[in-house]
Amino acid sequence: MKKRHILLRLILTLLALLILLPLVLTAVYSFCAPTEIKAFMQTRNQYGTALMELKLRPNLFSLDQYWRVLIQDTSLLRYYFNSIGYTAATLLGQIVIIPMLAYALSRFEFRGRDVISFAVIVLLLLPFQVTMVPTVLTLRRLGLMDTMWAIILPSLTSPFYVFLLRQSMLGIPGELFEAAQIDGAGPARCYVHIALPVSRAMIGAAVALSFADCWNMVEQPLVFLPNRTDLHPLSVVFNQLSQESTGVEFAGAVLYLLPALLIYLFFQDDIMTGIALSEMK
Amino acid sequence: MFRKGRVFLLFLLPGLLLLLIFYVIPLFSGIFYSVTDGSKANAFVGLKNYESLWQNKMFQLGLKNTLELSVISAPILWVASFFLALLLQSISPRGGFFRSSALLPYLAPSSAMLLVWLVLFDYGGPLNRVADALGLQRVMWLESDALRVPIIVMFIWKNLGFCMVIFLAALQTVPQSLYEYATLEGGGFFVKAFRVALPHILPTAFLVFVLAWINTFKIFKEVYIIAGSYPDRSVYTLQHYMNNMFSRLDYQMVTAAAYSFAVIVLVLFAMLFLLQRRAAQ
Repeated sequence: MKKRHILLRLILTLLALLILLPLVLTAVYSFCAPTEIKAFMQTRNQYGTALMELKLRPNLFSLDQYWRVLIQDTSLLRYYFNSIGYTAATLLGQIVIIPMLAYALSRFEFRGRDVISFAVIVLLLLPFQVTMVPTVLTLRRLGLMDTMWAIILPSLTSPFYVFLLRQSMLGIPGELFEAAQIDGAGPARCYVHIALPVSRAMIGAAVALSFADCWNMVEQPLVFLPNRTDLHPLSVVFNQLSQESTGVEFAGAVLYLLPALLIYLFFQDDIMTGIALSEMK
Repeated sequence: MFRKGRVFLLFLLPGLLLLLIFYVIPLFSGIFYSVTDGSKANAFVGLKNYESLWQNKMFQLGLKNTLELSVISAPILWVASFFLALLLQSISPRGGFFRSSALLPYLAPSSAMLLVWLVLFDYGGPLNRVADALGLQRVMWLESDALRVPIIVMFIWKNLGFCMVIFLAALQTVPQSLYEYATLEGGGFFVKAFRVALPHILPTAFLVFVLAWINTFKIFKEVYIIAGSYPDRSVYTLQHYMNNMFSRLDYQMVTAAAYSFAVIVLVLFAMLFLLQRRAAQ
Protein backbone atom coordinates (compact mmCIF):
# COMPACT_ATOMS: atom_id res chain seq x y z
CA MET A 1 0.00 0.00 0.00
CA LYS A 2 2.75 2.41 1.01
CA LYS A 3 4.80 1.52 -2.05
CA ARG A 4 1.92 2.27 -4.41
CA HIS A 5 1.58 5.68 -2.85
CA ILE A 6 5.21 6.53 -3.47
CA LEU A 7 4.93 5.43 -7.10
CA LEU A 8 1.73 7.42 -7.55
CA ARG A 9 3.30 10.51 -6.01
CA LEU A 10 6.26 10.16 -8.32
CA ILE A 11 4.00 9.93 -11.37
CA LEU A 12 1.93 12.93 -10.31
CA THR A 13 5.06 14.97 -9.63
CA LEU A 14 6.38 14.17 -13.10
CA LEU A 15 3.02 15.12 -14.58
CA ALA A 16 3.08 18.40 -12.63
CA LEU A 17 6.52 19.18 -14.04
CA LEU A 18 5.22 18.41 -17.53
CA ILE A 19 2.32 20.81 -16.98
CA LEU A 20 4.71 23.50 -15.75
CA LEU A 21 7.14 22.95 -18.63
CA PRO A 22 5.62 25.47 -21.07
CA LEU A 23 5.67 28.14 -18.36
CA VAL A 24 9.23 27.37 -17.34
CA LEU A 25 10.47 27.38 -20.94
CA THR A 26 8.82 30.76 -21.56
CA ALA A 27 10.64 32.15 -18.54
CA VAL A 28 13.97 30.60 -19.58
CA TYR A 29 13.71 31.95 -23.13
CA SER A 30 13.01 35.43 -21.82
CA PHE A 31 16.57 35.52 -20.49
CA CYS A 32 18.12 34.86 -23.88
CA ALA A 33 19.65 37.73 -25.84
CA PRO A 34 17.24 39.07 -28.51
CA THR A 35 19.57 38.03 -31.33
CA GLU A 36 19.70 34.50 -29.93
CA ILE A 37 15.90 34.27 -29.82
CA LYS A 38 15.58 35.75 -33.28
CA ALA A 39 17.95 33.16 -34.71
CA PHE A 40 16.22 30.41 -32.75
CA MET A 41 12.72 31.39 -33.88
CA GLN A 42 13.90 31.55 -37.49
CA THR A 43 14.69 27.84 -37.43
CA ARG A 44 10.93 27.18 -37.10
CA ASN A 45 8.82 26.01 -40.04
CA GLN A 46 11.63 24.17 -41.80
CA TYR A 47 10.28 21.03 -43.31
CA GLY A 48 13.51 19.22 -44.11
CA THR A 49 15.14 16.67 -41.85
CA ALA A 50 16.66 19.43 -39.74
CA LEU A 51 15.58 19.67 -36.12
CA MET A 52 15.33 22.81 -34.04
CA GLU A 53 17.92 23.19 -31.36
CA LEU A 54 16.70 21.74 -28.07
CA LYS A 55 17.13 24.91 -26.09
CA LEU A 56 16.94 24.43 -22.34
CA ARG A 57 19.00 27.40 -21.20
CA PRO A 58 20.24 30.68 -22.65
CA ASN A 59 23.71 30.64 -24.24
CA LEU A 60 24.38 33.81 -22.37
CA PHE A 61 22.16 35.05 -19.58
CA SER A 62 20.82 38.43 -20.60
CA LEU A 63 18.18 40.91 -19.51
CA ASP A 64 18.33 42.64 -22.86
CA GLN A 65 14.79 41.54 -23.87
CA TYR A 66 13.35 43.17 -20.76
CA TRP A 67 15.44 46.28 -21.32
CA ARG A 68 14.09 46.64 -24.84
CA VAL A 69 10.44 45.97 -24.00
CA LEU A 70 10.33 48.14 -20.91
CA ILE A 71 12.62 51.02 -21.77
CA GLN A 72 13.90 51.16 -25.32
CA ASP A 73 10.79 50.60 -27.41
CA THR A 74 7.61 51.05 -25.44
CA SER A 75 5.14 50.20 -28.21
CA LEU A 76 4.23 46.92 -26.47
CA LEU A 77 3.78 48.67 -23.16
CA ARG A 78 0.89 50.70 -24.53
CA TYR A 79 -1.10 47.52 -25.15
CA TYR A 80 0.00 46.29 -21.75
CA PHE A 81 -1.54 49.37 -20.15
CA ASN A 82 -4.73 48.81 -22.15
CA SER A 83 -4.94 45.34 -20.61
CA ILE A 84 -4.38 46.73 -17.14
CA GLY A 85 -7.04 49.40 -17.67
CA TYR A 86 -9.70 46.98 -18.89
CA THR A 87 -9.00 44.43 -16.19
CA ALA A 88 -8.90 46.96 -13.35
CA ALA A 89 -12.09 48.72 -14.46
CA THR A 90 -13.96 45.45 -15.02
CA LEU A 91 -12.94 43.94 -11.69
CA LEU A 92 -13.74 47.12 -9.76
CA GLY A 93 -17.19 47.34 -11.33
CA GLN A 94 -17.87 43.65 -10.87
CA ILE A 95 -16.88 43.65 -7.23
CA VAL A 96 -19.45 46.39 -6.53
CA ILE A 97 -22.30 45.17 -8.73
CA ILE A 98 -22.18 41.37 -8.70
CA PRO A 99 -22.28 40.70 -4.93
CA MET A 100 -25.16 43.19 -4.63
CA LEU A 101 -27.11 41.47 -7.37
CA ALA A 102 -26.37 38.09 -5.84
CA TYR A 103 -27.55 39.38 -2.45
CA ALA A 104 -30.83 40.64 -3.90
CA LEU A 105 -31.40 37.33 -5.68
CA SER A 106 -30.62 35.18 -2.66
CA ARG A 107 -31.81 36.91 0.52
CA PHE A 108 -34.89 38.85 -0.56
CA GLU A 109 -38.32 37.68 -1.53
CA PHE A 110 -39.96 39.65 -4.31
CA ARG A 111 -41.94 39.02 -7.44
CA GLY A 112 -39.85 38.12 -10.47
CA ARG A 113 -36.88 36.90 -8.44
CA ASP A 114 -37.01 33.38 -9.77
CA VAL A 115 -37.43 34.61 -13.34
CA ILE A 116 -34.29 36.74 -13.03
CA SER A 117 -32.35 33.88 -11.45
CA PHE A 118 -33.45 31.59 -14.27
CA ALA A 119 -32.44 34.20 -16.88
CA VAL A 120 -28.98 34.40 -15.30
CA ILE A 121 -28.57 30.63 -15.65
CA VAL A 122 -29.72 30.69 -19.28
CA LEU A 123 -27.27 33.52 -20.04
CA LEU A 124 -24.56 31.54 -18.30
CA LEU A 125 -25.19 28.58 -20.59
CA LEU A 126 -25.23 30.64 -23.78
CA PRO A 127 -21.82 30.82 -25.43
CA PHE A 128 -20.13 34.10 -26.30
CA GLN A 129 -20.97 33.55 -29.98
CA VAL A 130 -24.62 34.08 -29.02
CA THR A 131 -24.45 36.76 -26.31
CA MET A 132 -22.07 38.98 -28.25
CA VAL A 133 -24.78 39.66 -30.83
CA PRO A 134 -27.30 41.41 -28.53
CA THR A 135 -24.39 43.21 -26.89
CA VAL A 136 -23.24 44.61 -30.23
CA LEU A 137 -26.78 45.73 -31.04
CA THR A 138 -26.91 47.74 -27.79
CA LEU A 139 -23.39 49.09 -28.16
CA ARG A 140 -24.23 50.38 -31.64
CA ARG A 141 -27.46 51.92 -30.44
CA LEU A 142 -25.60 53.72 -27.64
CA GLY A 143 -22.72 54.70 -29.91
CA LEU A 144 -20.24 52.82 -27.73
CA MET A 145 -18.69 50.59 -30.39
CA ASP A 146 -14.96 51.16 -30.76
CA THR A 147 -14.70 52.74 -27.32
CA MET A 148 -13.25 51.30 -24.10
CA TRP A 149 -16.74 51.09 -22.61
CA ALA A 150 -17.61 48.42 -25.16
CA ILE A 151 -15.21 46.06 -23.38
CA ILE A 152 -16.00 47.06 -19.82
CA LEU A 153 -19.77 47.57 -19.53
CA PRO A 154 -21.08 44.23 -20.85
CA SER A 155 -18.76 42.23 -18.59
CA LEU A 156 -19.84 43.99 -15.39
CA THR A 157 -22.67 41.48 -14.87
CA SER A 158 -20.89 38.33 -16.00
CA PRO A 159 -23.58 35.68 -15.31
CA PHE A 160 -21.15 33.00 -14.16
CA TYR A 161 -20.01 35.05 -11.17
CA VAL A 162 -23.56 36.16 -10.35
CA PHE A 163 -24.44 32.47 -10.23
CA LEU A 164 -21.43 31.51 -8.08
CA LEU A 165 -22.04 34.27 -5.55
CA ARG A 166 -25.76 33.64 -5.42
CA GLN A 167 -25.07 29.98 -4.67
CA SER A 168 -22.70 30.87 -1.87
CA MET A 169 -25.08 33.46 -0.36
CA LEU A 170 -27.97 31.00 -0.50
CA GLY A 171 -25.81 28.72 1.63
CA ILE A 172 -25.47 31.20 4.50
CA PRO A 173 -27.59 29.98 7.44
CA GLY A 174 -30.73 32.08 7.94
CA GLU A 175 -30.15 32.27 11.71
CA LEU A 176 -27.25 34.64 11.15
CA PHE A 177 -29.55 37.13 9.48
CA GLU A 178 -32.36 36.62 11.99
CA ALA A 179 -30.03 37.25 14.90
CA ALA A 180 -28.80 40.45 13.27
CA GLN A 181 -32.36 41.58 12.58
CA ILE A 182 -33.32 41.09 16.21
CA ASP A 183 -30.38 43.34 17.08
CA GLY A 184 -31.95 45.93 14.80
CA ALA A 185 -29.83 45.57 11.68
CA GLY A 186 -31.53 46.25 8.34
CA PRO A 187 -30.81 44.60 4.98
CA ALA A 188 -27.95 47.01 4.18
CA ARG A 189 -26.11 46.32 7.44
CA CYS A 190 -26.68 42.61 7.05
CA TYR A 191 -25.08 42.87 3.61
CA VAL A 192 -21.97 44.62 4.86
CA HIS A 193 -21.56 42.68 8.10
CA ILE A 194 -22.80 39.20 7.18
CA ALA A 195 -23.26 38.48 3.48
CA LEU A 196 -19.97 40.01 2.31
CA PRO A 197 -17.65 38.67 5.05
CA VAL A 198 -19.15 35.17 4.95
CA SER A 199 -18.76 35.00 1.15
CA ARG A 200 -15.22 36.32 1.28
CA ALA A 201 -13.58 33.16 -0.07
CA MET A 202 -16.06 32.92 -2.92
CA ILE A 203 -15.56 36.58 -3.80
CA GLY A 204 -11.82 35.99 -3.82
CA ALA A 205 -12.26 32.98 -6.10
CA ALA A 206 -14.53 34.97 -8.40
CA VAL A 207 -12.04 37.85 -8.56
CA ALA A 208 -9.25 35.46 -9.53
CA LEU A 209 -11.33 33.66 -12.17
CA SER A 210 -12.68 36.91 -13.56
CA PHE A 211 -9.17 38.29 -13.71
CA ALA A 212 -8.19 35.29 -15.79
CA ASP A 213 -11.10 35.97 -18.17
CA CYS A 214 -10.29 39.66 -18.61
CA TRP A 215 -6.54 39.29 -18.86
CA ASN A 216 -6.98 36.58 -21.47
CA MET A 217 -9.69 38.16 -23.60
CA VAL A 218 -9.45 37.73 -27.34
CA GLU A 219 -12.98 37.63 -28.72
CA GLN A 220 -14.30 40.87 -27.22
CA PRO A 221 -11.73 43.29 -28.70
CA LEU A 222 -12.05 41.68 -32.12
CA VAL A 223 -15.81 42.14 -32.14
CA PHE A 224 -16.30 45.30 -30.08
CA LEU A 225 -13.25 47.29 -31.22
CA PRO A 226 -12.93 46.37 -34.91
CA ASN A 227 -11.58 49.76 -36.05
CA ARG A 228 -9.53 50.77 -33.04
CA THR A 229 -6.64 48.33 -32.86
CA ASP A 230 -4.80 50.92 -30.79
CA LEU A 231 -7.27 50.21 -27.98
CA HIS A 232 -6.65 46.45 -28.11
CA PRO A 233 -5.26 44.71 -25.04
CA LEU A 234 -1.95 42.89 -25.29
CA SER A 235 -3.68 39.48 -25.32
CA VAL A 236 -4.88 40.09 -28.90
CA VAL A 237 -1.58 41.47 -30.09
CA PHE A 238 0.52 38.40 -29.27
CA ASN A 239 -0.33 36.47 -32.39
CA GLN A 240 1.07 39.27 -34.55
CA LEU A 241 4.24 39.18 -32.44
CA SER A 242 4.75 35.53 -33.19
CA GLN A 243 4.56 35.93 -36.94
CA GLU A 244 7.86 37.74 -37.20
CA SER A 245 10.27 37.39 -34.35
CA THR A 246 11.56 40.63 -32.95
CA GLY A 247 13.59 38.79 -30.36
CA VAL A 248 11.78 40.35 -27.41
CA GLU A 249 8.54 38.38 -27.48
CA PHE A 250 9.38 36.03 -24.63
CA ALA A 251 10.05 38.90 -22.25
CA GLY A 252 6.69 40.30 -23.32
CA ALA A 253 5.07 36.96 -22.56
CA VAL A 254 6.68 36.77 -19.12
CA LEU A 255 5.61 40.31 -18.29
CA TYR A 256 2.08 39.29 -19.27
CA LEU A 257 2.21 36.09 -17.22
CA LEU A 258 3.58 37.77 -14.12
CA PRO A 259 0.40 39.53 -12.90
CA ALA A 260 -1.56 36.32 -13.50
CA LEU A 261 0.99 34.43 -11.41
CA LEU A 262 0.77 36.98 -8.59
CA ILE A 263 -3.03 36.87 -8.61
CA TYR A 264 -2.86 33.08 -8.53
CA LEU A 265 -0.49 33.00 -5.57
CA PHE A 266 -2.56 35.54 -3.71
CA PHE A 267 -5.98 33.94 -4.34
CA GLN A 268 -5.03 30.26 -4.59
CA ASP A 269 -6.52 29.32 -1.22
CA ASP A 270 -9.68 31.30 -1.98
CA ILE A 271 -10.14 29.39 -5.24
CA MET A 272 -9.85 26.07 -3.42
CA THR A 273 -12.12 26.98 -0.50
CA GLY A 274 -14.50 28.96 -2.70
CA ILE A 275 -15.07 25.96 -4.92
CA ALA A 276 -15.37 23.62 -1.97
CA LEU A 277 -17.91 25.90 -0.25
CA SER A 278 -20.16 26.23 -3.23
CA GLU A 279 -21.99 22.88 -2.82
CA MET A 280 -23.41 23.30 -6.28
CA LYS A 281 -26.87 22.14 -7.13
CA MET B 1 -35.23 36.24 3.92
CA PHE B 2 -36.22 39.87 3.77
CA ARG B 3 -39.82 40.31 2.69
CA LYS B 4 -40.79 43.90 3.43
CA GLY B 5 -39.74 47.19 1.90
CA ARG B 6 -38.15 48.32 -1.30
CA VAL B 7 -34.53 48.14 -0.17
CA PHE B 8 -33.96 45.17 -2.43
CA LEU B 9 -34.25 47.50 -5.44
CA LEU B 10 -31.09 49.23 -4.30
CA PHE B 11 -29.18 45.98 -4.55
CA LEU B 12 -30.96 44.63 -7.57
CA LEU B 13 -31.18 47.56 -9.97
CA PRO B 14 -27.57 48.31 -10.98
CA GLY B 15 -26.93 44.72 -12.03
CA LEU B 16 -30.41 44.11 -13.39
CA LEU B 17 -30.31 47.22 -15.58
CA LEU B 18 -26.99 46.20 -17.11
CA LEU B 19 -28.30 42.68 -17.72
CA LEU B 20 -31.43 44.05 -19.37
CA ILE B 21 -29.64 46.64 -21.51
CA PHE B 22 -26.77 44.50 -22.75
CA TYR B 23 -28.33 41.06 -22.92
CA VAL B 24 -32.01 40.51 -22.35
CA ILE B 25 -33.70 43.34 -24.27
CA PRO B 26 -31.44 43.18 -27.36
CA LEU B 27 -31.72 39.40 -27.29
CA PHE B 28 -35.41 39.86 -28.06
CA SER B 29 -35.20 42.95 -30.26
CA GLY B 30 -32.50 41.24 -32.32
CA ILE B 31 -35.09 38.73 -33.56
CA PHE B 32 -36.33 41.63 -35.70
CA TYR B 33 -33.04 41.71 -37.65
CA SER B 34 -33.11 38.01 -38.30
CA VAL B 35 -36.52 38.11 -39.99
CA THR B 36 -36.10 41.26 -42.12
CA ASP B 37 -34.02 41.81 -45.24
CA GLY B 38 -31.84 44.68 -44.03
CA SER B 39 -32.81 46.98 -46.87
CA LYS B 40 -34.02 50.54 -46.25
CA ALA B 41 -37.63 49.42 -46.14
CA ASN B 42 -36.69 46.51 -43.82
CA ALA B 43 -39.23 44.20 -45.40
CA PHE B 44 -40.37 41.19 -43.43
CA VAL B 45 -38.95 38.06 -45.01
CA GLY B 46 -39.95 35.40 -42.52
CA LEU B 47 -37.43 32.59 -42.17
CA LYS B 48 -35.61 33.34 -45.42
CA ASN B 49 -32.44 34.50 -43.65
CA TYR B 50 -32.36 31.27 -41.69
CA GLU B 51 -32.78 29.28 -44.89
CA SER B 52 -29.88 30.95 -46.66
CA LEU B 53 -27.80 30.74 -43.48
CA TRP B 54 -28.26 27.01 -43.17
CA GLN B 55 -27.33 26.58 -46.83
CA ASN B 56 -24.18 28.66 -46.41
CA LYS B 57 -21.11 26.44 -46.70
CA MET B 58 -18.98 28.47 -44.29
CA PHE B 59 -21.69 28.51 -41.62
CA GLN B 60 -22.05 24.74 -41.94
CA LEU B 61 -18.29 24.33 -41.68
CA GLY B 62 -18.00 26.63 -38.66
CA LEU B 63 -20.89 24.98 -36.84
CA LYS B 64 -19.61 21.49 -37.62
CA ASN B 65 -16.09 22.29 -36.41
CA THR B 66 -17.28 24.05 -33.26
CA LEU B 67 -19.50 21.10 -32.31
CA GLU B 68 -16.84 18.53 -33.25
CA LEU B 69 -14.15 20.26 -31.22
CA SER B 70 -16.57 20.32 -28.26
CA VAL B 71 -17.55 16.68 -28.61
CA ILE B 72 -13.87 15.71 -28.64
CA SER B 73 -12.51 17.98 -25.92
CA ALA B 74 -15.27 18.09 -23.30
CA PRO B 75 -15.29 14.31 -22.58
CA ILE B 76 -11.48 14.14 -22.56
CA LEU B 77 -11.38 17.02 -20.12
CA TRP B 78 -14.08 15.50 -17.94
CA VAL B 79 -12.59 12.00 -17.74
CA ALA B 80 -9.01 13.21 -17.27
CA SER B 81 -9.91 15.63 -14.50
CA PHE B 82 -12.06 13.01 -12.74
CA PHE B 83 -9.26 10.44 -12.71
CA LEU B 84 -6.63 12.94 -11.64
CA ALA B 85 -8.89 14.12 -8.82
CA LEU B 86 -9.36 10.50 -7.68
CA LEU B 87 -5.63 9.82 -7.76
CA LEU B 88 -4.92 13.04 -5.93
CA GLN B 89 -7.59 12.24 -3.34
CA SER B 90 -6.06 8.83 -2.68
CA ILE B 91 -2.73 10.38 -1.64
CA SER B 92 -4.25 13.32 0.26
CA PRO B 93 -3.30 15.30 2.30
CA ARG B 94 -0.17 15.09 0.13
CA GLY B 95 -0.25 16.24 -3.47
CA GLY B 96 -0.41 19.98 -2.88
CA PHE B 97 2.36 20.57 -5.39
CA PHE B 98 0.47 18.76 -8.12
CA ARG B 99 -2.76 20.55 -7.30
CA SER B 100 -1.14 23.96 -7.45
CA SER B 101 0.73 23.24 -10.67
CA ALA B 102 -2.35 21.85 -12.39
CA LEU B 103 -4.48 24.88 -11.55
CA LEU B 104 -1.86 27.45 -12.53
CA PRO B 105 -2.47 27.20 -16.33
CA TYR B 106 -6.08 28.31 -15.83
CA LEU B 107 -4.78 31.74 -14.86
CA ALA B 108 -2.01 31.84 -17.46
CA PRO B 109 -3.23 33.81 -20.50
CA SER B 110 -3.19 31.51 -23.53
CA SER B 111 -2.00 34.33 -25.74
CA ALA B 112 1.24 34.70 -23.80
CA MET B 113 1.77 30.93 -23.92
CA LEU B 114 1.41 30.79 -27.68
CA LEU B 115 5.11 31.31 -28.44
CA VAL B 116 6.28 28.32 -26.49
CA TRP B 117 3.56 26.10 -27.98
CA LEU B 118 4.70 27.14 -31.45
CA VAL B 119 8.18 25.95 -30.56
CA LEU B 120 7.04 22.71 -28.91
CA PHE B 121 4.83 21.73 -31.85
CA ASP B 122 7.17 22.87 -34.62
CA TYR B 123 8.02 20.36 -37.34
CA GLY B 124 11.57 20.28 -36.01
CA GLY B 125 10.51 20.91 -32.42
CA PRO B 126 10.80 18.82 -29.25
CA LEU B 127 7.63 16.84 -29.83
CA ASN B 128 8.71 15.66 -33.25
CA ARG B 129 12.17 15.01 -31.83
CA VAL B 130 10.55 12.49 -29.52
CA ALA B 131 8.66 11.02 -32.48
CA ASP B 132 11.97 10.71 -34.33
CA ALA B 133 13.63 9.03 -31.39
CA LEU B 134 10.79 6.51 -31.17
CA GLY B 135 11.14 5.82 -34.87
CA LEU B 136 7.77 7.35 -35.71
CA GLN B 137 6.83 9.61 -38.58
CA ARG B 138 7.05 13.31 -37.78
CA VAL B 139 3.77 15.22 -37.96
CA MET B 140 3.15 18.71 -39.29
CA TRP B 141 1.26 19.76 -36.16
CA LEU B 142 0.70 23.34 -37.17
CA GLU B 143 -0.79 22.69 -40.60
CA SER B 144 -3.99 21.20 -41.97
CA ASP B 145 -5.97 18.60 -40.03
CA ALA B 146 -3.27 18.00 -37.44
CA LEU B 147 -3.74 21.57 -36.17
CA ARG B 148 -6.63 20.28 -34.10
CA VAL B 149 -4.21 18.36 -31.90
CA PRO B 150 -2.18 21.31 -30.54
CA ILE B 151 -5.39 23.30 -30.16
CA ILE B 152 -7.03 20.59 -28.08
CA VAL B 153 -3.83 20.07 -26.09
CA MET B 154 -3.62 23.80 -25.31
CA PHE B 155 -7.26 23.77 -24.28
CA ILE B 156 -6.92 20.73 -22.01
CA TRP B 157 -3.68 22.06 -20.53
CA LYS B 158 -5.49 25.23 -19.56
CA ASN B 159 -8.74 23.80 -18.17
CA LEU B 160 -7.64 20.52 -16.62
CA GLY B 161 -6.70 21.89 -13.22
CA PHE B 162 -9.88 23.90 -12.80
CA CYS B 163 -12.15 20.92 -13.47
CA MET B 164 -9.97 18.74 -11.28
CA VAL B 165 -10.25 21.12 -8.33
CA ILE B 166 -14.06 21.11 -8.54
CA PHE B 167 -14.04 17.30 -8.55
CA LEU B 168 -11.56 17.25 -5.70
CA ALA B 169 -13.78 19.43 -3.52
CA ALA B 170 -16.71 17.08 -4.11
CA LEU B 171 -14.67 13.92 -3.55
CA GLN B 172 -13.83 15.14 -0.06
CA THR B 173 -17.50 14.57 0.84
CA VAL B 174 -17.40 10.86 -0.05
CA PRO B 175 -17.19 8.93 3.25
CA GLN B 176 -13.96 6.97 3.59
CA SER B 177 -15.93 3.97 4.85
CA LEU B 178 -17.53 3.50 1.42
CA TYR B 179 -14.07 3.04 -0.14
CA GLU B 180 -13.06 0.66 2.63
CA TYR B 181 -16.19 -1.38 2.07
CA ALA B 182 -15.43 -1.53 -1.66
CA THR B 183 -11.89 -2.69 -0.90
CA LEU B 184 -13.24 -5.45 1.37
CA GLU B 185 -15.53 -6.55 -1.42
CA GLY B 186 -12.46 -6.80 -3.63
CA GLY B 187 -13.26 -3.79 -5.78
CA GLY B 188 -10.39 -2.26 -7.72
CA PHE B 189 -9.73 1.31 -8.76
CA PHE B 190 -12.42 1.41 -11.43
CA VAL B 191 -15.12 -0.03 -9.19
CA LYS B 192 -14.30 2.60 -6.61
CA ALA B 193 -14.30 5.31 -9.26
CA PHE B 194 -17.56 4.47 -11.01
CA ARG B 195 -19.58 2.55 -8.40
CA VAL B 196 -18.61 4.43 -5.25
CA ALA B 197 -17.30 7.91 -6.01
CA LEU B 198 -19.23 8.89 -9.13
CA PRO B 199 -22.77 8.20 -7.87
CA HIS B 200 -21.96 10.08 -4.69
CA ILE B 201 -20.86 13.24 -6.51
CA LEU B 202 -23.21 13.08 -9.48
CA PRO B 203 -24.42 16.73 -9.32
CA THR B 204 -20.82 17.97 -9.31
CA ALA B 205 -19.85 15.59 -12.09
CA PHE B 206 -22.72 16.98 -14.12
CA LEU B 207 -21.72 20.56 -13.32
CA VAL B 208 -18.12 19.93 -14.40
CA PHE B 209 -19.34 18.43 -17.65
CA VAL B 210 -21.53 21.46 -18.37
CA LEU B 211 -18.75 23.92 -17.45
CA ALA B 212 -16.25 22.00 -19.56
CA TRP B 213 -18.70 22.02 -22.43
CA ILE B 214 -19.35 25.78 -22.14
CA ASN B 215 -15.62 26.37 -22.14
CA THR B 216 -15.11 24.33 -25.29
CA PHE B 217 -17.13 26.91 -27.19
CA LYS B 218 -14.38 29.38 -26.36
CA ILE B 219 -11.83 27.24 -28.21
CA PHE B 220 -11.84 29.98 -30.87
CA LYS B 221 -9.28 31.73 -28.68
CA GLU B 222 -6.73 28.98 -29.15
CA VAL B 223 -7.43 28.83 -32.88
CA TYR B 224 -7.17 32.57 -33.28
CA ILE B 225 -3.87 33.00 -31.50
CA ILE B 226 -2.30 30.20 -33.56
CA ALA B 227 -3.94 30.68 -36.93
CA GLY B 228 -5.60 34.11 -36.93
CA SER B 229 -8.87 35.09 -38.57
CA TYR B 230 -8.55 32.81 -41.60
CA PRO B 231 -7.38 29.44 -40.30
CA ASP B 232 -7.28 26.04 -41.99
CA ARG B 233 -10.68 24.54 -42.83
CA SER B 234 -10.32 21.91 -40.11
CA VAL B 235 -10.38 24.52 -37.33
CA TYR B 236 -12.59 27.23 -38.84
CA THR B 237 -15.09 27.82 -36.02
CA LEU B 238 -18.48 29.45 -35.78
CA GLN B 239 -16.87 32.48 -34.13
CA HIS B 240 -14.74 32.98 -37.27
CA TYR B 241 -17.84 32.95 -39.43
CA MET B 242 -19.65 35.41 -37.19
CA ASN B 243 -16.70 37.79 -36.90
CA ASN B 244 -16.56 37.76 -40.66
CA MET B 245 -20.26 38.60 -40.99
CA PHE B 246 -19.87 41.34 -38.38
CA SER B 247 -17.08 43.00 -40.33
CA ARG B 248 -19.36 42.98 -43.37
CA LEU B 249 -22.11 44.50 -41.20
CA ASP B 250 -24.38 41.64 -42.24
CA TYR B 251 -26.62 41.74 -39.17
CA GLN B 252 -29.22 39.48 -40.74
CA MET B 253 -26.80 36.57 -40.94
CA VAL B 254 -25.19 37.29 -37.58
CA THR B 255 -28.46 37.34 -35.69
CA ALA B 256 -29.81 34.30 -37.53
CA ALA B 257 -26.60 32.42 -36.72
CA ALA B 258 -26.73 33.47 -33.07
CA TYR B 259 -30.32 32.31 -32.58
CA SER B 260 -29.72 29.06 -34.43
CA PHE B 261 -26.73 28.33 -32.25
CA ALA B 262 -28.58 29.38 -29.09
CA VAL B 263 -31.34 26.88 -29.84
CA ILE B 264 -28.82 24.10 -30.49
CA VAL B 265 -26.91 24.81 -27.28
CA LEU B 266 -29.99 25.13 -25.08
CA VAL B 267 -31.54 21.93 -26.46
CA LEU B 268 -28.25 20.18 -25.84
CA PHE B 269 -28.06 21.34 -22.24
CA ALA B 270 -31.73 20.55 -21.65
CA MET B 271 -31.07 17.00 -22.83
CA LEU B 272 -28.02 16.72 -20.58
CA PHE B 273 -30.07 18.00 -17.68
CA LEU B 274 -32.85 15.47 -18.24
CA LEU B 275 -30.24 12.73 -18.54
CA GLN B 276 -28.74 13.76 -15.23
CA ARG B 277 -32.18 13.78 -13.61
CA ARG B 278 -32.81 10.26 -14.79
CA ALA B 279 -29.38 9.09 -13.64
CA ALA B 280 -29.95 10.61 -10.22
CA GLN B 281 -33.13 8.61 -9.68
